[in-house]
Amino acid sequence: MSESLVGFLRQSVTRCAEAAALVHGDRQISYGELWTHVEAFAGFLESEGIQPGDRVAMLMENSPEYVAAYYSILAAGGAAVALNTAVRAQDLSAWVTHCGARWLIADAGHPELPALLNQSPAPLRVITVGAGLAGEPRADAVRWDDVPSQSGSRRIASPADSALATIIYTSGTTGHPKGVMLSHRNLAANVRSILDYLPIDATDRAMNVLPFYYSYGNSVLHTHLAAGATLLLENSMVFPHRVLQIMADQRATSFAGVPSTYALLLNRTRLGDYDLGALRYLTQAGGPMAPALMRRLREALPNARLFVMYGQTEATARLAYLPAERLEEKMGSAGTAIPGVTIEIRGETGEILPPDQVGEICATGDNLMLGYWHDPEATVRVLIDGWLHTGDMAYRDAEGFLYIQGRRSDMIKTGAHRVNPREIEEAIIELDWVADVAVVGVDDDILGQVIKAVIVPRPGLAVDPMRVKAHCRERLATYKIPKFVEHANELPRTASGKVKRYLLAG
Amino acid sequence: MAAEQKIRDYILQNFLFSQDQSLLNSTDSLLAKGIIDSTGVMEMITFLQEEFGITVEDSEMVPENLDSVNRISAFVARKQAAAGA
Repeated sequence: MSESLVGFLRQSVTRCAEAAALVHGDRQISYGELWTHVEAFAGFLESEGIQPGDRVAMLMENSPEYVAAYYSILAAGGAAVALNTAVRAQDLSAWVTHCGARWLIADAGHPELPALLNQSPAPLRVITVGAGLAGEPRADAVRWDDVPSQSGSRRIASPADSALATIIYTSGTTGHPKGVMLSHRNLAANVRSILDYLPIDATDRAMNVLPFYYSYGNSVLHTHLAAGATLLLENSMVFPHRVLQIMADQRATSFAGVPSTYALLLNRTRLGDYDLGALRYLTQAGGPMAPALMRRLREALPNARLFVMYGQTEATARLAYLPAERLEEKMGSAGTAIPGVTIEIRGETGEILPPDQVGEICATGDNLMLGYWHDPEATVRVLIDGWLHTGDMAYRDAEGFLYIQGRRSDMIKTGAHRVNPREIEEAIIELDWVADVAVVGVDDDILGQVIKAVIVPRPGLAVDPMRVKAHCRERLATYKIPKFVEHANELPRTASGKVKRYLLAG
Repeated sequence: MAAEQKIRDYILQNFLFSQDQSLLNSTDSLLAKGIIDSTGVMEMITFLQEEFGITVEDSEMVPENLDSVNRISAFVARKQAAAGA
């Protein structure tokens, strides 16, 4: 086996065992300590009989334990399946069942854990982390803190480069879970590419608020550990002032955000009140950021270089980036392909398009996923002859810089999340007084988009927005609850019956 | 209506979409239970400022003041007492 995430981490441990890998609240974990945990838990999984490629599900917020769990699963030859912690038990259960996980490592206090354990039919060995808020875990559950004493051998597995390392679920629709399979090679290749263009080094103290279970946060985690840098963990942007205070106190050198993260910082805080003098650079991915917002960000933090980046979970994380020094000149561009990736713009029949013509972004490189877990049909629709068909539409200028023009799909981007409108429609149509429903994204200054549901009630009945929201809250993650609920007499449709969503998005 | 009840009703109405008081304990962490998100907390601050005539400073927007019904009502009471002093 050549390069791997575990190999990268081990190199960092060798280089700087005493250096801080993670800072989380009052806790500081050195590379040496992190490695001790990784070895111990990998040994535990081995003693449990883990086989190559066995899936281990994780239901954990960002924490030192998350990081140790993830790397130990890989070190034991397993595949880490980090689940979105914001969704409800029904989706979690669907994912755990779909991926066939035999182990679940979960924050003991996660509010959906009891319901998840009730709903999961397969035998599942549960390892709980921290104190429980939501009742006692299963009687046979193992506590994370008790694991080191139980662990057996400490052999680090050497799976093949092409072996499954992780599955990232990108869609919550219960009927059709979509799990992106990434190999050890995929993860290592993307880390290597990102380290080639981003100035990450062992002196960095990077502030991370992105969930590690999404591909952007996942890449921030792995690149910084490979570089021997320090990651400062804060689990959300709910209290942005606290994030800024930590950045000032800890002398943060970099920050990673999606457009809504920066909108929150610019519109809801006074950036100038905090000493962010150590900040060297910022990264932005997760959808296009308005040029006006980008300029305000540069004015507010003039000494921090801003890297705009573009990618997909299906490409591990990253496909393209815009060098900070070209930002003003190429404002609005997603940049050019990262090292190790080739990008083409293709037309309807697959032909390569010349500059300035809009077509689909197609990409190839060692970072392209293995496919969708247990879904070969969906896989062959996007992976064709070694090329990923992203569904994103763009043109290139004469110098090859990409300008994204939109997506073929109807996915709604709200904050850091991508939401399939059909998932919300399926939940709302369960209400017996609803005859028809369409869900769309509408523009929002902070979140980029928020969700609107347009409902046609059954004859003689009225739309009750509170009941709709309450029902969605019961069924769906909080970020999927429609902000607006409107009444309509009928939905605009094409001749073939497809809803014209763009007419509803105003 | 007591401040705590007003706060409780606001959270129930706007984030839990219900009038069922049993859905929300006074000590429940709004963050850990997924009740409130980053835009929700800003909306709630606007409500507190308008409803109780207080000004919430940046440095006060922390979970210690805003992460449960109990903490919010204690925070509002402290702000009102300080303003009246």
